Amino acid sequence: MEAALIGFAVVLVLVLLRLPIAFAMGLVGMVGYWYETSFRGALSMVGRIIIDTAQDYGLSVIPLFILMGLFVNKGGLSRDLYRVSYDFLGHFKGGLAMATIVACGGFSAICGSSLATAATMSKVAMPQMRKYGYSDSLSTASIAAGGTLGILIPPSVILVIYGLLTETSIGKLFIAGIIPGILGVFLYLFAVRFTVLVNPKAGPAGERSSWKERLAALSGIWSVLLLFVLVIGGLYGAFNVWPIYLTFSPTEAAGMGAMGAFLIALSRGGLTLKSTYSTLVETAYTTAGLFAVLIGAWIFSNFINIAGLPEALLGFVNQAGFSPFTVMLMILAVYVVLGCVFESLSMLLLTVPIFFPLVTSLGFDPIWFGIIVVVVVEISLITPPVGLNVFVLKGVVQDVPTATIFKGVTPFWLVDLIRLALLLAFPALVLYLPQQMG
Amino acid sequence: MSALFRKTCLYAEAAPAALAAIALFTLMVMTFMDVMLRSAFNEPIEAASELTRILMAVIVFSSLPIISARGTHIVVDLIDPLFRGIAVRIRDGVIDIIAGLLMIWPTMRCFTLAERARDFGDVTEFLNIPQFYIIYFITFFAAVTAIVLLAKGIITLFIPSLLAPPQERAETMAPAQEG
Repeated sequence: MEAALIGFAVVLVLVLLRLPIAFAMGLVGMVGYWYETSFRGALSMVGRIIIDTAQDYGLSVIPLFILMGLFVNKGGLSRDLYRVSYDFLGHFKGGLAMATIVACGGFSAICGSSLATAATMSKVAMPQMRKYGYSDSLSTASIAAGGTLGILIPPSVILVIYGLLTETSIGKLFIAGIIPGILGVFLYLFAVRFTVLVNPKAGPAGERSSWKERLAALSGIWSVLLLFVLVIGGLYGAFNVWPIYLTFSPTEAAGMGAMGAFLIALSRGGLTLKSTYSTLVETAYTTAGLFAVLIGAWIFSNFINIAGLPEALLGFVNQAGFSPFTVMLMILAVYVVLGCVFESLSMLLLTVPIFFPLVTSLGFDPIWFGIIVVVVVEISLITPPVGLNVFVLKGVVQDVPTATIFKGVTPFWLVDLIRLALLLAFPALVLYLPQQMG
Repeated sequence: MSALFRKTCLYAEAAPAALAAIALFTLMVMTFMDVMLRSAFNEPIEAASELTRILMAVIVFSSLPIISARGTHIVVDLIDPLFRGIAVRIRDGVIDIIAGLLMIWPTMRCFTLAERARDFGDVTEFLNIPQFYIIYFITFFAAVTAIVLLAKGIITLFIPSLLAPPQERAETMAPAQEG
């Protein structure tokens, strides 16, 4: 128990000293395991984890989904998505910011990363909002907040990693993210309305598009919509009917998605041999980075378990007589605090091995908890001082002060809290769809 | 000198990068074909699962030395502003050396496991590919990663002139996909 807490503290220090997360967790995990068992035991645990993780079938979803997002983007999806959203919403007050939110939601349905969603959409949406005289705070905030949807609306790299760490069904986790994701879009739209209600100058209306323009814009994204329906529908089991009887495992869904995205990008002329190659290489590098961290996290979590931290925590909670809901609120508080300083993935990897056993033994649903954690991580992405999405945006629009972005984000942050409260109060919002999967 | 060094590094990167790219493309096409064949002809590719495992090992481990060399491991850069000038160099050099040293024991362990798999004659289920090939592959690239990290740490500390200025080394990767 003490060993685990010391280990946790050492990881925090090493990570802050900029040792790559993978090595910090691996080092502490191995030394701790050595302390609890023997050097040989620790070494053979580490060796087994390295070899097994590298050859894990389930993990192949990660590169395939990353690839899908990158390929679709080469086909110019972000631009087309923004155009469609604009054609339908642009004539409202704050319409361009609303279009940004919807386009971010759409992009999230292909891309599994919040940072990538924010980075991509900022390049498309920011110039438009500037052209129409949107205030810097509203335009940047809508991108930063909209971008957070990337990890909730499937596919999601964070949910894949949560699923693998906790042996929870990735397919069900993905499906569970849909309703909270859509809820997020609507609440963000509400936040935009609220912002322009308070300050009408922040987001003037754009021009109204004709139905002809709208339909033309829709025709630009139908293939991508189809791809999403195919991938997520296949995962959900929607095609498991006569005459095809087709249900995808997450890996198959990801493979179909990547191949489909490749074909779409190819047909749109967005791909050359060179850009295909660089996309593949980029994906491989990102994958390797994620795997290194995963291997480290697994080593660390083996140590945490053998040191008995989860049991000790459970014993403590039982002794103190907290109700499960109180414990959940305390865990969320820990996440909010850690989220202020930590990057999303490292926060997840450090905390899930500790909290997950506690949460499930208190009777909470593992899928529900996964979604709750992701929503909290989303909130942390736009929380000062280290809201990562805000910094991604800052990289693209360097002339806007960070404080301005954070100020604009406030209404979005507040509706995020409302969403979290709703999901806590009504778990069915998360669990209804996955329960239909059987 | 530093230009020559950079060029050498780029050449050294090319082969493993190409290997990773080809493996990934193969994985994508194979998964697609597997689903297609299964749904249309009820004839899945039986070896798909074991090939997926092998391809994953290739993708991850051939990329590992490259991301280590480029320094694009996932890090927390919260207190970066506290380090300036020579402190940055010392920190980065020491970190690389620590990381390199850390790779040594697992690499040796992987080698032992590979030898063991060879002695036992472990093979994959459908294609009878000997397991030890894959574990040797992992071991080899783990060793390369260790050497790369150690070399990079030593160069950063003692021969910094070899390394390109940071602004030319940045932007090797798109915004991380992890968050």
